[in-house]
Amino acid sequence: MKLVKESKGVWQYHLAQNEAAVLVGLLKKFPFTKIDPVKISKTDKHLKAREREKLLNESLAEHRKELKKLALDLIRPDKFKQLEKGWLMTLRLEERETMLQILNDIRVGSWHVLGEPDDLHAQPAKTSAKDLAYRSLMDLAGYFECGLLTTE
Amino acid sequence: MPTVLEPVTKPIIKKRHESDDDLAPTFYVICWNDPVNLMVYVTHVFIKIFGWNKEKAEKHMMEVHEKGKSVLVKEGAEKAEFYVHQLQNYKLEATMEPAE
Repeated sequence: MKLVKESKGVWQYHLAQNEAAVLVGLLKKFPFTKIDPVKISKTDKHLKAREREKLLNESLAEHRKELKKLALDLIRPDKFKQLEKGWLMTLRLEERETMLQILNDIRVGSWHVLGEPDDLHAQPAKTSAKDLAYRSLMDLAGYFECGLLTTE
Repeated sequence: MPTVLEPVTKPIIKKRHESDDDLAPTFYVICWNDPVNLMVYVTHVFIKIFGWNKEKAEKHMMEVHEKGKSVLVKEGAEKAEFYVHQLQNYKLEATMEPAE
């Protein structure tokens, strides 16, 4: 995945045939994990903080639903133009942000499923097929995030 | 003209620190370290949400990475909550902690 051109808030990336297939697969099947509740504060024990936390988690659940819809928009045929070798993907500014959020949701969600390991490169003593699948998802999402951001 | 002694009335002036705004609680918006969010991604999110330049965003990103957390901004409740929502939408671990 390589940036070809960025102009007036429109990004164009070249993707190899297999990269495009994998990226479309990730977007089509998103989300891969259930949403985990988050804390709004580590120290604030007031009732108001608990209310804010509830609101935050409701808002994140809504946001996830919205991302699921937007993920399908990102794989519309007009987003990808077939080239002689690979594909040209065109993203507007907000679409690029959406794609980054979706990819990082996949990456962080997979990390949670894997038990939040501190060392992402360490080989666990036992690896199940499920672990391998989530490790691959985490790595693939990171690969495409870097591809989207390498030019900055 | 007779002199009339009028009672001296002083206007009631609220001291600056007594205004409602100043009494409202403020919060630190903090981003916490984790091993999964990529450094380039965290920098991008800070630029996007706070409108910082790359240098400032990278400084805070490195602080998160090396010290385990970075205080990003100090704001009133509503704005701090807004920033936490924005950061969490990008899957960064962000919280709002009361400022004392």
